Amino acid sequence: MNGVSVRIQKGALSIPRAYRELASEGQGGIVLFLGRVRADRGRDGPVEALEYEAHRGPAEAKLEELAKAARRRFGVREVVLWHRVGVLAVGEASVLVGAGAPHRSEAFAAVSWLITRLKERAPIWKAEIYHRPIRARARRRTS
Amino acid sequence: MGWPEGMATSLTILFFSTARGAVGRPEIRYRLPEDGLSVPELLERLCRRYPRLRPILPSSRLVRNGTPLRRRAGRVAAGDEFAIHPPYSGG
Repeated sequence: MNGVSVRIQKGALSIPRAYRELASEGQGGIVLFLGRVRADRGRDGPVEALEYEAHRGPAEAKLEELAKAARRRFGVREVVLWHRVGVLAVGEASVLVGAGAPHRSEAFAAVSWLITRLKERAPIWKAEIYHRPIRARARRRTS
Repeated sequence: MGWPEGMATSLTILFFSTARGAVGRPEIRYRLPEDGLSVPELLERLCRRYPRLRPILPSSRLVRNGTPLRRRAGRVAAGDEFAIHPPYSGG
């Protein structure tokens, strides 16, 4: 890869594949961050899943812009920025951010900066899906 | 207000997240009137047609052909693709 790998994808995130993308010989430090769907209680009860959507073209362009900016800003050599879309159950990984650099401090700093900027600036949204007992669903259909 | 659909002089509007919920569909086509339309006029027409969109627009970004608009001004052109981006929540 050209130092940067960005993706908006439906399928699962592959940690081995991300590691291979980042692990060229000059990298003494590789940092991988995974964001997961956590068990949480929302306004309508326990969250069962999150549904992610993206405006794909602009989202990919923004991820690429952020990844390139991180290379310049922190001197990391490789950046991986992958985000999933679709319905993700509690426990599934929704985002993978990785950086490879000669030394660990740049890689840690780049990954922290990237996940913060991604959340602020990439046109990606999530919506909570709540667990509802079967009887409640049936009531809702017949009401 | 009519909401005519057509291809030749139309534009596309994409709705995401809460904006899609307010409109009830992810995308509409809108045929431009003969005398054209400004961006603010387009937004006002959308709000009149979909009242639940009105409170969402102030905090949303307006994206034209993939690029965020800095100012909600200027004329709309046939073939434009607009997108309403409510605040982002990825990660």
